[in-house]
Amino acid sequence: MSTTVIGGAPAKPRAPATPIDLLNNDTAKLYTHMHPILVLSLYAYQFPSIVADPVTGLTKTLIPLSILQVVYVALCLPPTGSGSGSASGQPEKRKPGEKKKVVPGKVESGINGKIIPAFLSLLLSTVVAAPLLTTTLVLFGAPITTHHAHTLLCGAHIAFLSIIPLVYVHGVDGATWREAVALLLPLDEVYGGMLGAVSGAWLGAIPIPLDW
Amino acid sequence: MAVRTFLLTLANLLIPIAILVFATGFFPYKPFMPGLAEYDDLGWEHQMGWNNKSVADAPFDRLVFMVVDALRSDFVYSQGSGMPFVQSLIREGYALPFTAHATSPTITMPRVKAITTGSIPSFLDVILNFAESDTTSTLATQDTWLAQLKAKENGRLVMYGDDTWLKLFPDFFERNDGTSSFFVSDFTEVDNNVTRHVPEELLNDDWNAMIMHYLGLDHIGHKAGPNSPNMLPKQKEMDDIVRDIYSAIENEDHLQNTLFVLCGDHGMNEGGNHGGSAPGETSPALVFMSPKLSKVTGSWEKKSPVSPKEGTEFEYYRLVEQSDVAPTLAGLLGVPVPKNNLGVFIKEFLGFWDDERDRIQLLLRNARQIKRIVEATFPSLDFGDVTTREEEKDCVSPSTGQDLACKWQAVLHSDLFKILQFMQAAQETMSSTASNYDVPRLIIGASLALSSVVLSFFTLPALRPVSPHGLYYMLILALYSILMFASSYVEEEHNFWYWATSAWLFYLFVSASRKEWTSNFILHPAIMVLVLHRIIRRWNQTGQKFAGADDIVHSPLFRGSYSIVLWALVGSTYIDVTNRLSRHVARSIAAFEGLSGVSLGDGPYDDFDPNRFMAFIAVLPLGATAFVFKLGFTTLDAPELTGGINRDLLNWVAGLGLVGVARMVFGGIGLSAFWIAVAEWKRAKGRRKNVDGNGDLAVALFDLLTLILLTQTKAQNIPLYLLFRLQFFFLSMLNLDPVSLTTTTLLLTQTSFFALGNSNAISSIDLSTSYNGISGYNVTLVGILLFVSNWAGPIYFTAAGILLLGGHGGAQSTRRHIATSELDDRDWVREERAHLERMARQERVVEERKTKGGGWKVWSEHVSLMTLWTGISTASVMLACIVLRQHLFIWTVFSPKFLFAMAWGLGFHFVVTIGLSGLIWGVGRW
Repeated sequence: MSTTVIGGAPAKPRAPATPIDLLNNDTAKLYTHMHPILVLSLYAYQFPSIVADPVTGLTKTLIPLSILQVVYVALCLPPTGSGSGSASGQPEKRKPGEKKKVVPGKVESGINGKIIPAFLSLLLSTVVAAPLLTTTLVLFGAPITTHHAHTLLCGAHIAFLSIIPLVYVHGVDGATWREAVALLLPLDEVYGGMLGAVSGAWLGAIPIPLDW
Repeated sequence: MAVRTFLLTLANLLIPIAILVFATGFFPYKPFMPGLAEYDDLGWEHQMGWNNKSVADAPFDRLVFMVVDALRSDFVYSQGSGMPFVQSLIREGYALPFTAHATSPTITMPRVKAITTGSIPSFLDVILNFAESDTTSTLATQDTWLAQLKAKENGRLVMYGDDTWLKLFPDFFERNDGTSSFFVSDFTEVDNNVTRHVPEELLNDDWNAMIMHYLGLDHIGHKAGPNSPNMLPKQKEMDDIVRDIYSAIENEDHLQNTLFVLCGDHGMNEGGNHGGSAPGETSPALVFMSPKLSKVTGSWEKKSPVSPKEGTEFEYYRLVEQSDVAPTLAGLLGVPVPKNNLGVFIKEFLGFWDDERDRIQLLLRNARQIKRIVEATFPSLDFGDVTTREEEKDCVSPSTGQDLACKWQAVLHSDLFKILQFMQAAQETMSSTASNYDVPRLIIGASLALSSVVLSFFTLPALRPVSPHGLYYMLILALYSILMFASSYVEEEHNFWYWATSAWLFYLFVSASRKEWTSNFILHPAIMVLVLHRIIRRWNQTGQKFAGADDIVHSPLFRGSYSIVLWALVGSTYIDVTNRLSRHVARSIAAFEGLSGVSLGDGPYDDFDPNRFMAFIAVLPLGATAFVFKLGFTTLDAPELTGGINRDLLNWVAGLGLVGVARMVFGGIGLSAFWIAVAEWKRAKGRRKNVDGNGDLAVALFDLLTLILLTQTKAQNIPLYLLFRLQFFFLSMLNLDPVSLTTTTLLLTQTSFFALGNSNAISSIDLSTSYNGISGYNVTLVGILLFVSNWAGPIYFTAAGILLLGGHGGAQSTRRHIATSELDDRDWVREERAHLERMARQERVVEERKTKGGGWKVWSEHVSLMTLWTGISTASVMLACIVLRQHLFIWTVFSPKFLFAMAWGLGFHFVVTIGLSGLIWGVGRW
C-alpha cells in the first residue's frame, strides 16, 4: 500500500486552506440566513408524507431540496476557481503581459460562472457522493439485503445537503477532499454544514432501539 | 506511583464489595413458611352452619398433570393449532381453557415452583436454576400440592419427563423416569421416554397423581422457533397423547374421578427462546379436562378455535395467573391450599358446588391462607377479625398494605365477590415484591461503587492535554451510564456498542488520515476493521425488539447441504490456530536444540523449516482433535448444520464419546502451554541481559487461549474468530497509542459479546457448551465453562488488546532493530529510508511503553481506565435499579441487567481484565 505524506516531508507544501467567505453582496447575505429556514420548512412540510411512505416521500422531497441547494450555492457561495470568496469583489490583478480577459455579459457570466458549476456539483453529488455515502451508511449498519431504496435516498439527501456546496466551492481537487476527510479544512459555513449533516445522520441513529 | 497503585487496588477491591452488598439488598432471601398446611377452623362455623373443620366435598380424587414445555397459548387455541382433539373437548364443554400468565423469569424451574407452591419465585431462583444441585432450591421441605397429595391417604405420585421435577422433589415419587434436556437437538427421544410409560400407568390404580413433563416442543422452539416445520407434527403428537389419556379417563372405572390438566410452563418468543417477559414468553396455555366439567360449563358459550383478545397477541380466553393452579388443584382435589400460595382459586370451578356456603368456605380458606402471608409482610397493620358490621369503607388508602387490610375487613362481612377482590388485590401487591428491598443496603452498595469510580478517576493517566480519543472514552462512559436508565436501551444494548464502535473505527481512519494519506483509502486498515465490524454485527441477531430477525447464522448459507461452507470456515479457523501454534512449538524445539549443543539462538531460526514441519506434525493431533470434537458435538447438538457432510463420518465422530474427546483437547492445551512456557523460559534465560525478547510466550498463550475459546463456542459462531483475527491484524497495523488501544479494547470486548448472540436477557445465556469434558455435575467447573462460553468474545479481545498494547503478534511483531544511523542517503532510497525511520520510531514508542515504570506502567494505566469503566457501568446499573425499583420492568429488564453487570464486574473484570491480561502482559516481557 503506497502512502503519500501530507505536510512536512512532501516536495510541494500546500498552502493551508483558508475559510470560504460568503459572496460580498446583499442577496447573498440575506439568502444565507433564509436558506436553512427554507430547507427546514421543506422537511417539516414533507414530514408526514415521509413518515407515511418513506420512499415516495423522500423521492418527492429530493427535487425541491436540489433546487433549494442549487439556488443557495449560486446565490451565496463563490464557485470553485474564483479564488477565495473575499477576492471576488476586489479588482482583478493582472500580471504584466497577460491578455485582458473578455468580460462576458452579466447574465452570461452568471450562467457560466454560477449556474453551470452549481448543476455540475448537483450532478457530482448525485453520481459520486450519493453512492459513496450510501456505502458509508451500510458500513455504519444500514441493512444490506433489504430497504435499498430507503438507504439510497438517505444517502442522496445527505449528499445534497452536505456535498453540493462543498463541490461548488472546492471543486474536485483531490488534496482538498483528503483534507476534508482528515478534518483539516477550516471550519467555515460550508464545511461546518457538511460536518453537521454527517454527524447529525450519525446521531439520528440514537432513537432506533426505542419502541415508542 | 505507590499512591496510584494503592488507590487502584482500593478501587478494584471496592467493586466486588459493592456488588455483593447491593445484591443482598436487591435479591433478599424470601423466607417461606415451613410445614404442610392443614384444614383449620374458619371461625364462622355457627353463622354458616358448617361443622368444625369440615371440608366441601371435592369432585376429583386423582390428577394427571401434563406439562408440555413452552406450550404457548396459541399452540393449543389458535386456528393454526395442531391440537384438534383438545379443541373439540373445549367445544363440547369437557375442557376449560385459560391463558396462564407466567411471571418473569420464564424458565422451567421457577415456573414449576410457581405452579406447585402457588408462590411467586424470587429472582434468586434464576441463579439457583443454573446451580441445579443446590439444595436450597428443592421444594422437599416446602408446602406444595404434590406434598399435600402425597400426604393424603394412599397418596402415591409418579413422574415421567424433565428431571427438574426430580431435583425439586427428591424421593417424592413412587415411580419415575427423568429425562435431561442436554441436547436440544433431540426432538423425539425425550418425549418417547415419557410416552412409553403412559399406557401401563393408566392401567395402574395405585397412584393419585401422575406428572408428565414433555420437553420436545421446547427443543424445537430453541432450535428453529415457533414456525419450525417440526412444530405442527409435535403438537399433533401431544394431542394424540391427550386423546389417549382422556379416553382412558372416560373408559376406565378407576379413573372416572380424574382431573386432567394440560399446561405449558412458559411460552416462547418469535426466536423460540424464553426467559424474558415478551408476551409470547409469558403466555402458556392451561387446560383443565374431565367429563365431569360439563357440570360447570353447562350453559356457557363454548368456542374453539378462537382468536386472541383484541389488542393482545397471545391472550386466549380468560387470563389467570400461573400460581392460581395451586389453590385450584387443592380445591378440586380436596387438599389444603399450600401455605406459601399467592394464587387465587379459579372462580369458574365454583360451579362444582351447588351450596353457596361450600363456595364461600372454599374461597375463605384460600383467602385466610393468603392473609397469613400478607400479615407477615405488613406486621404493623391490623388484619384482625373485626366482626362488627361497619359502614362500607372506601378501600383507597395511600399504602398498599393498608388497602389490603381494609379489603380484608370487607371480606369479613361480605360475599364471594369481596373475598375474590381481596385475594386478587393481595396477589397483585405481593407479586410486585417491592416492599422486600433492603433500601439502605442498595444505597450503600451504590455509594461503594461510586467511590470506586472516584478513586479510579485519580489513578487515570494524565488527563491533559485533552486528546480526542480520551474524550471519546469518557463520552462512551457517560452515554452508557445514561442509557442504563431506559429499559429499551438495556434490552437493545448491542445497538449502542455497534454504533459507538463504528464511529470510533471511522474516527481512527480520520485520525490516521491526518498524519498520512493512504492513496487507496478503501483498503486503509481502519476501514477494513470497520468492514469486518459490519459483518460481525450481523452474525447473530440479538436483543428483544428484533429477536428472530434474519442474520447470517440463520441464513440458508450455513444450513442443510450448504453447511459445507460453514465447515470450510470452521476448518480454516482451526487450521489457522494450529498453524500459529506450530510456530511456537517450532521455536521451542529450536530452544531445546540450542541446549543440546547445536547452537541456535534467537533469530531467524524460529522458522527453520525442519523444525516447523516437526512442530506442525506435533500440533496437528491437538488441532484435529479439537476440530473432531466440534464436529461430533455439532452432530448431536445441531444436526441441521452438518447436512453436507458424509453420514458415516458423522456417525463415527458422534460415537467417539464427547466427554473423553473434550478432556483430550483441554489436556492437550494444558500440556502445550506447559511445554512452550518452559521453552520460552529457557530462551529468556539464555538471552543476554540487554536484549529483550519478542514476547513470544504472550502470543503463544493467546493462541492457546483461542483454541479453548473455540472449543467453548458453538460451531456457527466459530468463523467469527477468523474475522476477529483479521480485525486484530488490521488494528496492529494502525499503531495506536495506549488510550486508543484501551478504548478499542473496551469497544471490541462489548461488541464481540453481543455479536456472539448474547444480550441482557436471561434467555440468551447459552448452556450447551458448559458441560464439555464433564460427565457429572460440578458447580465450579460448569460455572467456569459457562462463563468462558458466554464471554468468549470479550476474553478474546481482552487478550488481543494486551498483545497490541505490548506490540506483540501483529503485523509488526518481529522487531528489526533498525539502526537509522547506518542508512544510506541516496535519492532512490530516501522513500525507503523514510519508511524505515517511521517503523523505527514506532518500535521505539512500543519499546518505551514496555520499559516505562518498571514495565507495568502502561498496563496499570490500561487497568485503571478499565476499572473506571467497570465502576461507572456497575454504579449506573445499581442507580438505575434503585431509582426504578418500582418500575414495571424491574424484574424483567433491570434485574437481569444487574445479574449481567455482576458477571461483568466480578467474573470479567477481575479474572479477565486484571488476571488474564496481567498474566499476558507479564509473560510478554520475558
